[in-house]
Amino acid sequence: MVNGYAPKTLQEALEIRAHEKVIPYAGGTDLMVQNPKNAIYLFLNKIDELKEIKDDGEYIRIGAGVTFTQAIASDLVPQLMKEAVSRIAAPAIRNAGTFGGNLGNSSDKADSVLVEFAMDGCVRLVSVNGERVIPVEEFFIKRRENNLRDDELIAEILLPKAKCSMPYYYKKVGGRNALAISRIAFAGTYLVKDGVIEDISAAVIGGAAKFQRFKDIEKMLIGKTVGELKANIDEYVKLYSEKYIFTRGRVSAEYRRTVCMNLTKDFLNTII
Amino acid sequence: MDVITFTLNGKEVVYDGSAADRLLEVLRDTYDMKSVKCGCKEGECGACAVLLDGLLVNSCCVAVGAVDGSKVMTVEGFRETPQFAVLSAAFADLSAVQCGFCIPGMVLAAQAVLSQNPHPTEDEVREGLSGNLCRCTGYNAIINAVLNASKEGEGLW
Repeated sequence: MVNGYAPKTLQEALEIRAHEKVIPYAGGTDLMVQNPKNAIYLFLNKIDELKEIKDDGEYIRIGAGVTFTQAIASDLVPQLMKEAVSRIAAPAIRNAGTFGGNLGNSSDKADSVLVEFAMDGCVRLVSVNGERVIPVEEFFIKRRENNLRDDELIAEILLPKAKCSMPYYYKKVGGRNALAISRIAFAGTYLVKDGVIEDISAAVIGGAAKFQRFKDIEKMLIGKTVGELKANIDEYVKLYSEKYIFTRGRVSAEYRRTVCMNLTKDFLNTII
Repeated sequence: MDVITFTLNGKEVVYDGSAADRLLEVLRDTYDMKSVKCGCKEGECGACAVLLDGLLVNSCCVAVGAVDGSKVMTVEGFRETPQFAVLSAAFADLSAVQCGFCIPGMVLAAQAVLSQNPHPTEDEVREGLSGNLCRCTGYNAIINAVLNASKEGEGLW
């Protein structure tokens, strides 16, 4: 009794997705931990068009079936993303785990999704009825909840090239070096020109069942000089501190707050 | 899918069970590949690691339907190769094996490292084996065995 689907093309996969009750299977690394009983999988791992990494001039487009190992070896994937995914689990997981799976699984500890939040990443969703491109922060609602429709599949992650070339900051704090789930992870990009902050964005994994990014604080910082940031750094750190929400998980909320505030200050100091 | 066909240690096999079955269990129970160990069933220990199209994966986190058309190698197949002979001798020389439970995964992880990088540094070996847990050896003997194998097996990888 063989009960799965292994389409060779995206179009074929979308037809099955539209008409059958299936669970999209990309790398399997999260899905197979549960392996729900009687699951009928739509295997997407043999679809070549989902494994491409492209530069369209405006975006770096990472196919949903691209593995973390593949991304680390790519010349197109930005360094910030490479750094984040190179610290996911260990080689055997990175060889199988994919960008589409990491986003679709919607863990609030998904290391590649954190970078997508920080870089204004978008996701291209496709179905037999067409496609839509939406910001990742709109796609991801909270832990285990996203905006994927029943007939849709994740096709690509889009990272704006403008952000890809900016200086960045990345720190992941886990319980160990390998096979570590982020307790706190912090990703940020920034651009300073002639002493003025032209762009800044930052997002954190912090156990609040979602990724946290505060665009209002970023807006306040854009246009300020590095000198102004330096003079008022504690004020800005305080603004972040008032906004972050931390919950208890494998570690206490207090631990998360302390680490996250240290990283926030370290990030702002990096810009100075 | 009608049936799942894949190459296991160089021989084509046809699996007609559920596509959702774990590769780990299919390898052990249907094909008697007992080198593949069940440690954690959540991708955390590497005891069930196999080479899938030449890349190291944890077979507990792979549904058998995903390997249709692929090549799977376990230690039962790898032990027929000259690379295995070198790794086996290096592990024995340095007493890198105690209880042995992690060793099939370790050996395949070592093969994955050396096939991509025949002359790895110690850090690169540690990184390559970082998903394989060992409760006996403290790792150093295993790392040194892989580094020795890299020298002894010059030209093989």
